[in-house]
Amino acid sequence: MLRSATPLRGMTDRTLAWLFIGPTILLLLAFNLFPLIWTIILSFTNYRANRPSAAISGVGFDNYSRLMNDEAVWGYLQSTAHFVVGSIVLQVALGFALALLIDKKFRGHSFWTTAILMPIMLSPAVVGTFWTYFFQPQYGIFNYIIIFFSGVENFTMLGNVNLAPWAIILVDTWMWTPYVMLLLLAGLRSIPPYIYEAAEIDRASGFRLFFRITLPMVMPFLVLAVLFRLIENFKMFDLVNQLTNGGPGSATELASINLKRQAFEMWRTGYSSAFAMLLFVSIYGLSNIVVRYLEKVKQR
Amino acid sequence: MTAIALKSLRRAFGSFVAVKDIDLTIEDGKFVVLLGPSGCGKTTTLRMIAGLEMPSAGQILLDSADVTYVRPRDRDIAMVFQLFALYPHMTVRENLAFPLENERLKRAEIERRIADTTAMLRIDHLLNSRTGGLSGGDRQRVALGRAIVRQPKAFLMDEPLGTLDAEFRELMCIELRKLHNRLRTTTVFVTHDQDEAMALADHIVVMKDGEIQQSDTPEGIYTFPATMFVANFIGRPPMNFLTVEGAVQAGATDVQVAGQAVKIPTLRGSAARAVIGIRPSQLRVSDTGTLAGKIVAAEFFGSHQIATLTTDAGTVKVETDRNARLTPGQTLRLRLETERIVLFDAESEKLLASDTSLARAFGGYHG
Repeated sequence: MLRSATPLRGMTDRTLAWLFIGPTILLLLAFNLFPLIWTIILSFTNYRANRPSAAISGVGFDNYSRLMNDEAVWGYLQSTAHFVVGSIVLQVALGFALALLIDKKFRGHSFWTTAILMPIMLSPAVVGTFWTYFFQPQYGIFNYIIIFFSGVENFTMLGNVNLAPWAIILVDTWMWTPYVMLLLLAGLRSIPPYIYEAAEIDRASGFRLFFRITLPMVMPFLVLAVLFRLIENFKMFDLVNQLTNGGPGSATELASINLKRQAFEMWRTGYSSAFAMLLFVSIYGLSNIVVRYLEKVKQR
Repeated sequence: MTAIALKSLRRAFGSFVAVKDIDLTIEDGKFVVLLGPSGCGKTTTLRMIAGLEMPSAGQILLDSADVTYVRPRDRDIAMVFQLFALYPHMTVRENLAFPLENERLKRAEIERRIADTTAMLRIDHLLNSRTGGLSGGDRQRVALGRAIVRQPKAFLMDEPLGTLDAEFRELMCIELRKLHNRLRTTTVFVTHDQDEAMALADHIVVMKDGEIQQSDTPEGIYTFPATMFVANFIGRPPMNFLTVEGAVQAGATDVQVAGQAVKIPTLRGSAARAVIGIRPSQLRVSDTGTLAGKIVAAEFFGSHQIATLTTDAGTVKVETDRNARLTPGQTLRLRLETERIVLFDAESEKLLASDTSLARAFGGYHG
């Protein structure tokens, strides 16, 4: 017994540390870093994953220049931007309103909090499926309600080029507003009550109370919520894939949806690797800006 | 400049009554300290004056206007909180400007008031720093500044010196008093620290269990405590209590303590059982003293010593000369200064009226 224990006892702290972080590092290397580097390499080739035996040749920056000159790509990025901005604005606005409501103590407080949180507990694929039913032109309940109240005939959400982009924003907002609410609620709860008392004594109006006290003090949480939703929605795939699969036409063809099409329907692996790199750099840059802003608001 | 009046003010939290029908008049321009142990209702009282807490019954008058159910913002009072309650995301300047902007004052007027206030408190060099990085003392000054800059009817302060270290607290006490002498704004100050109360107050209100025990000047509280609780709460060490033998009658000029006659100021009240109250500083060690006691402990305080003695009338503490030789076991004889003796009814624990206490009540007592 003592013998086998000796080598363990003889280990330095450094060895022990490596033992602990080793497995994680290995996994990170295998599933994060290696694919990233592999994608970078592939983006400079004409490799096609459905023809593994074909000769691979380097094409330099060809994939990138084709990507940059493709107007359709800009269209997809635009769709993504529209989706990201629309959903974040709505989710933050609604989430803030809900958080302010929930922050007040009232009867059945915890019941309603849990009820509001339900959508986040569902899987996006499930949400996509049942909202497809809601939006169904013939028997969808959503369409039925709209027709009932507006009198418009033959109303369709997912089949309309102008409405479909809003349909995906709507569903994403339905699903993720509670999440934003939760973060903002944590922010509101972090403001000590005596700050509000001081503001009341200092005769702040409701308007000034919100814009000079509540909002600035919740700001770090709000920026965090924006950051999370930004990253999440920039690479949004499952929900939209389920709901519209990019249609009608290419009205909801987000960059991520098109990327999947290029990579796994057209098998343009090299080109789609370049596309993936473009998306990666964009989201990395955007997140960086938000993180810097977060650091700034956190300092005060 | 405002007088504050509380009339049968009551605050109950469920079955617990925090403030029990108190009556209090705070004169215009006075610095009044609400003093008492934690849980005595002093902070609740202050918060009701501020309007942050709604009374269960009673009335609050500001300059004879009933504000009992008026919102804090409409009372025109400023408050300094125990934890300062500065706006952490704002600079010192923004903190001071906030209440003024709320009143829609002109930019120039705001700047002028901020400049005046910060100069008075010597925080002008901090104007552009965020409040998060300030030291406790500087935060205290900023919190004070935010109250002063408003030029409100009254200042309410909830243990504002509680989080400062002892040395700095003393310094702030002096500054606060100087500030009050200059501004003469009615101030209600809550604390559990008798030194703060003594140093600051024009008037001290001692509270216990939601009731006012005594409301008087610091001298009055110290020399003629209205109850044994006040006598025991104020003074360091607190007042000594000596059991009197037998009943006491109005008109008596001496009482029996530990088998000896002790001269007292002529009594104007009577009680079946009574207790003598006398400060440790008003007992003199003297060979002709009437009270004999055995030393059990002696503490050296630099300027004086405190000896603890056991006597037949109870344990007493005596303030003695710093050079006195005090050995445990040694017997000392003590003389009681007649003029300074007060008597309490042992049953009700209330002060018994005497010639000296009455003389003071009618303005004739100077000592």
